[in-house]
Amino acid sequence: MISIDAKKQIDAWILKYPKDRQSSAVMQALKIVQAENKNRLSADTIQAVADYLDMPGIAVQEVATFYENYNHKKVGKHVIRFCHNISCMLNGADDLILHLENKLGVKTGEVTPDGLISAKKVECLGACVGAPMFQINDEYFENLTADKIDQIVDNLK
Amino acid sequence: MIEIEINGNVVKAKAGEMLIQVTDREGISVPRFCYHKKLSVVASCRMCLVDVEGAPKPQPACSTPVNEGMKVHTQNDKAKASQKAVMEFLLINHPLDCPICDQGGECELQDVAVEYGSDISRFSESKRIVPDGDIGALIQADMTRCIHCTRCVRFGLEIAGMMEMGGTGRGEHLKIEPFLKEGIQSELSGNMIDVCPVGALTSKPFRYELRSWQMHSMPNIARHDLVGSNLFVQTYKGKVKRVVSADNDLINETWISDRDRFSYEGLTHKNRLLEPQIKVQGQWQQVSWKVALDYAVKGLNSHVLKHQKVNQLGGLASSTATMEEFYLLKKILTEVGCDNIDHRLNVKNLDNVITLDSNIKLGALEKIDYALIVGANIRLEQPMINHRLRKATKKGADIDELNVMAFDFNHPLDTKNITAPNKIAPTLAGVLKSIMISNTQELPDYLLAVEVGEVANNIAAKLLNSRSSVIILGEHIINNEDASTIANLITQIAQNTNSKTLNLSITANTMSANWVGFVPQNSGMNVNTMLASDMRGFILLDIYPQYDFHDLETAVKAFTKDDTFVISLNSFKDDIVAGYSNVILPIASVYETSGTQLNINNDMQSYTAAVKAPDEVKPAWKVLKVMADLLALPSFHYADSAQVLAEIFHQPQTKHTHDENVNLTSKHHGISIIWQNSPYSIDAVLRHSNALQKTKIGQMNSAYMNQASAETLGLSADDKYLGVPVVITNTVADDCVFINANQAVNTQGQT
Ligand code: SF4
Ligand code: FES
Ligand code: FES
Repeated sequence: MISIDAKKQIDAWILKYPKDRQSSAVMQALKIVQAENKNRLSADTIQAVADYLDMPGIAVQEVATFYENYNHKKVGKHVIRFCHNISCMLNGADDLILHLENKLGVKTGEVTPDGLISAKKVECLGACVGAPMFQINDEYFENLTADKIDQIVDNLK
Repeated sequence: MIEIEINGNVVKAKAGEMLIQVTDREGISVPRFCYHKKLSVVASCRMCLVDVEGAPKPQPACSTPVNEGMKVHTQNDKAKASQKAVMEFLLINHPLDCPICDQGGECELQDVAVEYGSDISRFSESKRIVPDGDIGALIQADMTRCIHCTRCVRFGLEIAGMMEMGGTGRGEHLKIEPFLKEGIQSELSGNMIDVCPVGALTSKPFRYELRSWQMHSMPNIARHDLVGSNLFVQTYKGKVKRVVSADNDLINETWISDRDRFSYEGLTHKNRLLEPQIKVQGQWQQVSWKVALDYAVKGLNSHVLKHQKVNQLGGLASSTATMEEFYLLKKILTEVGCDNIDHRLNVKNLDNVITLDSNIKLGALEKIDYALIVGANIRLEQPMINHRLRKATKKGADIDELNVMAFDFNHPLDTKNITAPNKIAPTLAGVLKSIMISNTQELPDYLLAVEVGEVANNIAAKLLNSRSSVIILGEHIINNEDASTIANLITQIAQNTNSKTLNLSITANTMSANWVGFVPQNSGMNVNTMLASDMRGFILLDIYPQYDFHDLETAVKAFTKDDTFVISLNSFKDDIVAGYSNVILPIASVYETSGTQLNINNDMQSYTAAVKAPDEVKPAWKVLKVMADLLALPSFHYADSAQVLAEIFHQPQTKHTHDENVNLTSKHHGISIIWQNSPYSIDAVLRHSNALQKTKIGQMNSAYMNQASAETLGLSADDKYLGVPVVITNTVADDCVFINANQAVNTQGQT
């Protein structure tokens, strides 16, 4: 379930924490395991991480469901994380999310039929100065407008 | 001791304890949800806010340590305003439909809302709804009602030793749920129902049955293990409807095992025996008590007493009987001159029995710093004792085991020593030798040739270095070829290291049987000798050979002989019993009779009947008393079971003498079978309780063996061994088959 390579990466993180505190590496471990499982986590992968770090499954599940960066459903090749927290909301995020949904033809939480893009609503990404904003994969896009969104989305390959 | 002031009154407190502990002790009510006296403090619900003078904001009483001179107000405007505000927030998402909630009437939220809530809800937006999964056969989830106090989560983590519930999602989407699809599995899981302050977790078998105020709540004692947990039996119209725990810090603290909580379901199974019956010319007839007892006494007279064949009469009882029942049956037998008495039904060789006293109390168990477990799966066999051990490990105690299989412990083990049954005695002999060498004692002859391995040296060193240790002997040793030697070695090891001992090779009410000396008298026969002899009569108290004897066939053959007259006292119908008995007398089961249980602390706990036994069923002590009267035995004038107990007190307690022989020469080779009924099928009422049987523990049914043993026996993973599915695993020692046999009776029969 967890590849040898992934285990090596997780081990490197475990070493950063005191002995017997390997559970501290849980967030990194989930990230690593997610990356090698089509960018999503399943009950099985979560259990595998739990076993590897000697934690109860539910404790890993708590972490995995707390953070938006872990995906529990199928996601697209590109994941758009649209902030809908206060600053972005006050700056029109809700309308822009609707716009994005229309543009993609699917709702947030779903994947476009070609598997290219999925979007999800997330909480504050710490970029309130540039609200409204979203993140695609590891990149931030700020001060969004409907036009700007069209342009960015059209450029996704 | 310090002094603080609460609501203008000076009270004493211990420095550093939490304010809520002081108010609870003083009887000052402070509302709370997340706080529970046996769980860690998280201070997350904020319901317990009180005003502390000098603090700018109200403080949570559950996590505010007291200081000398502190002035606290639990009821002033500031305190009340915050309590009211918190209540309003808590009710935002909580359904306001108490009339259709199963917790209604016994809900902490409801109580607190009545006292601190507002009459009118200002919240007109829609409330959140949480879909529920099936979390198992014992607990019903209704998570829309959950207030996220996390008591159930902490219970799992801190008490049950397995975190099963957790908070997933965040913010508005936070949900309390288990991760595993199989649902909740802990052997203590039912306590989550008790700790949950609201109707989010309730008893599944009891769902929508009754309101708490409709039932009588009677204190009673659990009878399925050596602890005798204190509990309340809640009844309605003469039926047991629910069992909940009662507090007793010396015994079960505030917890009870699922086995004790849900076994009552068996009481209403359709297999209950409801009327006396006699077998006339091979045909069973249901008759009145008078006819049945006359028939029984006549049978005893004509088969045994009249012919001076009293030495061919035997009395056997299972470990579920009450102390009074053991005593009365023994008294009847001895008064008619019969010495053949026994309760040790599952012991193969009664010349090789465990005699080991327990000399540590439950409370002391959690203070030990080292425990050695020999042949026990304590977690499932004695859950509340395991809980104490687990608490000890949390304070740093080390636990080692000498077990035939790696069981699933819920606390860390220092070393797992998976040891073949025939290697246990030699290993313990090594431990003793190592200790005696360290103590520069002279070695007895039998130790001279003993090899001391690393395992033995390790255990010896730990025992010698520990401040307070205990050696625990479990029921997997009962039929070990070296049983008595193992017990005697443990006694000696304990003496030489100042350790305590705990004998868990017995269970239920066996301590009572030993107390009243329900064993062969003078030169009477033991159970195995009786079964092998030509007997003419038996009185059998609550015995089901299929489950109680190590060797079903021999037992049934002995009981079935043509001229053997068998009187059976049972609570449940059983074909095998019907096959050999001449009279079957229906007797009360748990909670239906008064009686006494002797637990591992040596506490004699007496209980009264919470319900009357159904139909014609009578408590066994009464049946035995009347039988004695009919036999014209003189001194059976008891008006109630308390008088029996009073008489027992006047008897000298039976002291056991036993040999202290250590015999290390047994040359046992080949595969040992350790047969154990699975935890939820150890007695008749459990075997008939529906919900328990549906749990993972209830379903346990495997013959575990390692690859080598499987090959020796010519078995593979698809086979059955002695009727039990084979599981091949390298967690079992060599030369050993460990069987956990599910003996549940068809549980579709709940009425
Ligand atoms: S289910 Fe009950 S005990 Fe568990 S968090 Fe919710 S309210 Fe608290
Ligand atoms: S609210 Fe959107 S980035 Fe902070
Ligand atoms: S009981 Fe004090 S904060 Fe919950």
